[in-house]
Amino acid sequence: MKGVTDRMSAPYTFKLAMDSLWKEKWINLLSALTIATGLLLMAVALSVLYNIQIATRKLPERFVITVFLKEGLTEEKIRDAVSGIKANPKVKSAKYISKDAAMKELKALMKDSDYILEGLDENPLPASVEVGINKEAVSEPSVRAFSDELRAIEGIEDVSYGEKLLSSIQAIKSGAEGIGALVIIILSAGITFVCYSTVKILFYRKKDEIETLQLLGATKGFIRAPFVLEGGLIGLAGGLAALSGIAGLKYLISIKLASLVPVLQSFAYPSAVAVYLPVAGLFVGLLGALIAIGRLRF
Amino acid sequence: MIEFHGVTKAYENSTALRNLSFLIEKGEMVFITGPSGAGKSTMLKLMYMAERPDEGRIVINGTEIETLGDSDIPYLRRNIGVVFQDFRLLPRKTAFDNVALALRIRGMGESDIKPLVNETLKMVNLRHKTDSLPAALSGGEQQRVVIARAIVSEPAIVLADEPTGNLDPDTSSGIMRILKEINARGTTIVIATHNRELLKDTGRRILRLDGGNLLERGD
Repeated sequence: MKGVTDRMSAPYTFKLAMDSLWKEKWINLLSALTIATGLLLMAVALSVLYNIQIATRKLPERFVITVFLKEGLTEEKIRDAVSGIKANPKVKSAKYISKDAAMKELKALMKDSDYILEGLDENPLPASVEVGINKEAVSEPSVRAFSDELRAIEGIEDVSYGEKLLSSIQAIKSGAEGIGALVIIILSAGITFVCYSTVKILFYRKKDEIETLQLLGATKGFIRAPFVLEGGLIGLAGGLAALSGIAGLKYLISIKLASLVPVLQSFAYPSAVAVYLPVAGLFVGLLGALIAIGRLRF
Repeated sequence: MIEFHGVTKAYENSTALRNLSFLIEKGEMVFITGPSGAGKSTMLKLMYMAERPDEGRIVINGTEIETLGDSDIPYLRRNIGVVFQDFRLLPRKTAFDNVALALRIRGMGESDIKPLVNETLKMVNLRHKTDSLPAALSGGEQQRVVIARAIVSEPAIVLADEPTGNLDPDTSSGIMRILKEINARGTTIVIATHNRELLKDTGRRILRLDGGNLLERGD
């Protein structure tokens, strides 16, 4: 027959999807809002992770190891010890602080209470070296191994690097990453399931219509395409709603709450995450619809 | 055009058709008759592959349907127009859209669809009801929309299952006139009916079924 081909009519498929979106508007709206909530929570989780990443990224730059030197070292021995420290490839900087400089620093720190130090016969503070290390080496096992290397240098009494603080920060970082990844996986699965269920419900509500289409000679592709498109559009709508939600949340935090809670002023917003919300919505919408359609037997 | 060779079809509690063999030639108009439950609808369903036979062979338009996979069935159905007993009109679509559906599933462009659908609706005297929903149409008008949907794509075969069921005699004869017109254009037509009035003086072949057995082949 003239004009008859096996191709899909894309505008008609789009029209069918739009008709169905409107016809089943309440169930679709509910699904889109559920998806929006899930995506919003996901964006918040990602933002928190992002801020933890920023905070921990700055840590290596500020990380310093204090190396205490033995009492009574000659200037030559001190020079040798400092040179020994500097020779280590992990060392970025090494600053020698004499006993007198340490006392001066302490007095400056104590300001008005420095009379406490006046009763001391001799300076009890040891000479030390403040060692900055390359940021690649700032990890708990690496720093521990590095401290052992330093202790082996002649003239060094002890090494202090805030072991507990370092391991706590590492634990918080990996814990937050693990929880964040888990939250994202669970929410992704949840959102996909919402789309899956919605498309399945829509499919069953149109079972008679689908049967008629089949009897008239419609291919499975023709029948499935509007459902897949509908799932994608519901996901996209959810993503756009989540984008509005995150914009509102940003306004609330940065304008309204930041004045009350100053720490929120330094909260960073990963704008890329927000931009990808509609894309993520579209993707999980399509995925859920494809899974639903793939599992249906008709 | 349509060949049944020793076809048997059974359901859970009964045998619908028993060892049926017959041949319908191209361009023929054939009636299948018999009491309710004789197997008339089952025979049509086998022809458009809504059912598969348990035994025997069916050949439609030169194609042995047993060889067809699920993905081939839509293409077979596109060569067969079906007038369903329960109409199967989509309630939220207008008469135009219900008829156009048969062309849209074939991927035909909207510019080609419009004149074809309007011409077909005119043929069944429903040009003035183009925008009406099925619920706003009488039984006879709904039946004519179904016929229009079955013939709009110019299929080689039209199967009509009780096309005059529950219609008054005047409307019934109008429906039969349309089917005869389509047949006169060379389309093979198979009509399943239990309406004896339709069979009077038809001059057409009649296949009589009873209890799943073919009692009379009429050839």
